[in-house]
Amino acid sequence: MTAPVTDPVAHAKAAIEYCYEQGWTDGLPVVPATIADVETFVATTGRDAAEIIGSQQHLGRSITVAQAAANAIMAGCKPEYFPVVLAAWHVLNLERGSRGAWQSTSGPAPLIVVNGGVRSRLGINYQGGVFGPGFRPNATIARAIGLIVRNGYGIRPQQLDQATQGLPGRWSICIGENEELSPWEPLSVVGGAAPGADAVSAMLIRTCEYVDNRSTDVAEAVLRDLAGRHGPARRCPSPGLTPDRTELAYPAQAHCPREKWSSDGGDLTRRQGRARHRRRTQHWQRHRAGPVQVWRQGRLQRRRRGSDQGMHRPDRAERRRGNGRAR
Amino acid sequence: MFETIVDPTVGPPASSECDQPTLAARPDSLFGLRLGLLANTKRNAEQFLQQVGEQLAEQYRLQMVLARKKPNIIETAPEPMMAEFADRCDIVVAGVGDCGSCSASAVADGLLLEQAGIPAVVICTDAFMASADAMARLRGAPGYRYVTTPHPVANLTAGGIHDRAVAAIPAIVTLLTQPTMAASA
Repeated sequence: MTAPVTDPVAHAKAAIEYCYEQGWTDGLPVVPATIADVETFVATTGRDAAEIIGSQQHLGRSITVAQAAANAIMAGCKPEYFPVVLAAWHVLNLERGSRGAWQSTSGPAPLIVVNGGVRSRLGINYQGGVFGPGFRPNATIARAIGLIVRNGYGIRPQQLDQATQGLPGRWSICIGENEELSPWEPLSVVGGAAPGADAVSAMLIRTCEYVDNRSTDVAEAVLRDLAGRHGPARRCPSPGLTPDRTELAYPAQAHCPREKWSSDGGDLTRRQGRARHRRRTQHWQRHRAGPVQVWRQGRLQRRRRGSDQGMHRPDRAERRRGNGRAR
Repeated sequence: MFETIVDPTVGPPASSECDQPTLAARPDSLFGLRLGLLANTKRNAEQFLQQVGEQLAEQYRLQMVLARKKPNIIETAPEPMMAEFADRCDIVVAGVGDCGSCSASAVADGLLLEQAGIPAVVICTDAFMASADAMARLRGAPGYRYVTTPHPVANLTAGGIHDRAVAAIPAIVTLLTQPTMAASA
């Protein structure tokens, strides 16, 4: 590495290797960032490069726009992705418990959801294989957050990051919502944004599970499968993190039980649910997300046949299994 | 060769707290001193410290024990709480760091108290020495010594907490009366 390198490919590889040696990578190769690159990225935001966008008081570390840009470059972002990275970072900083989350034993992963025309402009996948791999903005926007935490705050695994296992997909979960095929209003609109506006929502998740039911057109069957996977709403052992759940439904699932399954759990809870949601999601935070849809509050809520209002009451078998029980 | 590559780790410090900390002068003895207990919100932390307080109060005929709980496990104790310790106590025991962020912030609490002139000792579980040490390095105090107790603490019964606290007393007394940096530091 000390000898002059004339082959540009060898030079590029040596630069990548240099970044590894500095301890700057998450294990995968990074794109080395130059001052000019940082300036280009910062220019996409109209913000001051020195503006502080996050602090960890107990670590004595702060993050600037320029530093976030350097890490976004390293993650493989294009300049035009950077505003989305900053929006996701902003939202995650609003999440209760996020300040400690990066060091937490639970090793939570950000789930980042993008709405609006920005999905198409940047090529953010909101269709098949939405969790990836294969889509640069999805992969690199999420990765940028991880590198900001690692390099900006200095929170590294087995050191200040004390995740016992971590989470598959940590720093790689950024998806678009498939608004076009959704029977419900977009997550961003639920969060308070104008319809069609570009928006980013985020929350911290501790696990992910695929629930498959493609052989029914009955809402209850889908809901029962979802509830069965979850069990009762757990009490969260850590005061900083919320036990909320996010359900993502693929289009067929979302449409199938449409008359009985509404996105916010039924008319009864619609108004109060929204008011609560608005309070809690002032700046776009979490809660309902997904290529199409989610479900509220870790609580099984649905409309019943013959009674268009009312919460689901678990039957005895469900109670025994612990399903459908609200916290 | 790669000097044009931007170092992504370089940013402004959040405050000037991270300068090389000065550790407080130690008393020769704990007899008759005023003890502060700085608990975090983790399960059994207050009980653990309370047991420590009772043990020390009895053995050293402490003048008084001031117990406080900081509101956030991640961050250091708020300034008014720190000021109260500085004002009313001669020594402080902080803890229990038994998770990634709270072990690190407990060490940060200890170092802040030291800078305020109060000899302090931090208790962490042995599972989280890595994050405690990382925080000490980050705060310019590599080799900072603290007391460890086996992990976990959160599942202990009252009797178990008592036994652990009793077991920790000699190390606590040592760190409160002797320099808290490792010899190598």
